[in-house]
Amino acid sequence: MKTSREILFKQHQTTEPKLDTIRHEIVNAEFVREGRRVAVPKFRVVGTATLPLLIWRELIFPCRRIWTGLAAVWILILAANVSLREHSPAMSKSGPTPGIIMSLKYQQEILAELLTDRSAPREVDRQKSFSPKPHTESVEIQAV
Amino acid sequence: MLVVAEREQLPVQQARDGKPEAWDILFRRYQLPLYVYVFELVHHEQTSLDLVQETFIAAVRNIGGLRDDAKFGSWLFGIAHQKCIQRWRKQDRDEVSLDEIPESPDESESGPDALLVRQEQEAEFMQLLNQLPLPQRSVLLLHFVEDFSIEEIAGITGANAGTVKSRMHYAKRALKKLLEEKK
Repeated sequence: MKTSREILFKQHQTTEPKLDTIRHEIVNAEFVREGRRVAVPKFRVVGTATLPLLIWRELIFPCRRIWTGLAAVWILILAANVSLREHSPAMSKSGPTPGIIMSLKYQQEILAELLTDRSAPREVDRQKSFSPKPHTESVEIQAV
Repeated sequence: MLVVAEREQLPVQQARDGKPEAWDILFRRYQLPLYVYVFELVHHEQTSLDLVQETFIAAVRNIGGLRDDAKFGSWLFGIAHQKCIQRWRKQDRDEVSLDEIPESPDESESGPDALLVRQEQEAEFMQLLNQLPLPQRSVLLLHFVEDFSIEEIAGITGANAGTVKSRMHYAKRALKKLLEEKK
């Protein structure tokens, strides 16, 4: 009587030499020795001289496509900003237009009018103010 | 009956340190069980050898992802299982349905590894094993070859423990039934 494991292994024992070859090839490959370094990076003490190099190697170079994309986007934004500033009609002329000057003057006048002393009635207001007259006089006026 | 080697004594830590001798011991230990498992799933010698090779390479490259050294075996089989699935997807084979088996948690059962086969039944046993649906065969093979626990098989196949238990039960019952019919 045999166990299922024994039967299964017996069926495939002839493949062992091929498996040995595969194993030898992999074990003798260079990446086996480098496996540790790739899998778990070690922390190192970094000097100021090697810092830019380390930043380039660890931060920028692995994501170089992303950094390039970001740089391109910023260049586009800056270029668009500069070109818009150059073509803007309001920004292109040196001084304000006559229309703006007129508008400012009008605003100044209104402001001055509002700020004048309103406690003393003006001449126009004084004429319009109510003056009591005899009743008979007002009736004559109506008859005429 | 062969005794599965103690997994705790394997030089996993040395392999982490990039020692080729350690990898040699690990691969020597698992090469045949892995091959048996993969072959019984894909039924093609060259494909199985390729998958074992890919599994070994992936193990070397991803050893940093292994948290518990004692689980090296199941971790390695998990890689092989994933490689098989990737290969099936690449070859655009029939979809492997993993949900066709109902749960059956009630029946207590002895392990499938307790199943003993007479010498004259060996060929029939292999034939019958291959008649099982793929998910059941996968679970049964993992238990036969490495005596993995339900939880370990669940981890390897990506199924939950209840599903694995159910598949184990149905696979064992189907196999026993087929063997009895052949008597």
